[in-house]
Amino acid sequence: MSSPSAPMALTFHLALLSIISFGGIPSVLPDIRNYVVEAHGWLTDREFANFFAIANSLPGPNMILMMSLIGWSVGGLPTALASALATFGPPCAIYYFAYGLWDRLRDARWQHVARRSLVPVTIGLIIGGGTVMARTADRDWQSALVTLAAAALILWVRVNPLWILIAAGAGGVLGLI
Amino acid sequence: MVRIAQDGLGAERASLRALFNGFLKVALCSVGGSGGIVFARGLVVEQRRWIDDRDFADILSFCQFMPGPNIVGVAVCVGSRVRGPIGALAGVAGFTLIPLTISFSVGAWCLRNTDLGMLQGLLSSISAAASGLVIGTGLRLLAAHRDRPMSLSFAGLAFCGLVFTKLPLLAVLLALAPLSFSIAAIFNRRAR
Repeated sequence: MSSPSAPMALTFHLALLSIISFGGIPSVLPDIRNYVVEAHGWLTDREFANFFAIANSLPGPNMILMMSLIGWSVGGLPTALASALATFGPPCAIYYFAYGLWDRLRDARWQHVARRSLVPVTIGLIIGGGTVMARTADRDWQSALVTLAAAALILWVRVNPLWILIAAGAGGVLGLI
Repeated sequence: MVRIAQDGLGAERASLRALFNGFLKVALCSVGGSGGIVFARGLVVEQRRWIDDRDFADILSFCQFMPGPNIVGVAVCVGSRVRGPIGALAGVAGFTLIPLTISFSVGAWCLRNTDLGMLQGLLSSISAAASGLVIGTGLRLLAAHRDRPMSLSFAGLAFCGLVFTKLPLLAVLLALAPLSFSIAAIFNRRAR
């Protein structure tokens, strides 16, 4: 299904894309799909969608998980490991050095302006991201109610969010949700 | 590189073990990408008080601009803020090593046994709750800005851009960030 150099090519491509994935890995997801599905035929469209769904419903760093599942199907366990590292290794180095710079200049006037103006935008994006997620997760009124209840609880009641997830999971298993 | 916090809230010195375990727990609890924000905030702001809500929002927005998996970036920034380079390493290691091993094994197993009704029921109800947690946490972060109409309107614009257009996150960010920055810069100049 794939040539011996496929693991190397995939790892290199993922490392490259992770460096330019401004705004998060999802921003280069279409490009990754083109590469593994259309250009090389390592995966089918269906498999790619399945990997995405599974990565999004399991706990943990979901995009890294998705890339390691892709690596796994291209070249087994070693490629899974290499793909995971390629996805978060280079960005971690960038985060570290860029944050060092950002933190050292924290008293510069332009940074006060940047902070005041950019933080609200990213907060809007977080709420929007949760809403987009809810749109795919809520298939009926029961699950929409779960989403609303979870949002209200975390907003107004000091409750460990883990309990909310456990309660929802139990409801799902019992077929209530 | 990073100025290690020594005053105020950061006074409680974080041990490397606390960073590793803390971000391990954050990763194990976070479902569906931005779900991690909820638990990361709970850990660093409420439980451990390594940094305050304002600094947390600052780190979050910094990470959203940078390339790479955003929540891993939060582990790097918080870790380096409280314990320097080793702290960053401890945070990332806690966030990735064990959680990835577990969810990779479960994921690979799921892909071989995709037809499991109960598992799907479990996963879909958990993601319904997880998305609600993300929305609630975002609203909590927004509460700090409630007396600033300009901030609220840009948060609203970003929300609408992501939810009502089919634009990717990066496009919304690149469209709004310069506009918001310039308006804040003009206000800032006038205020002086």
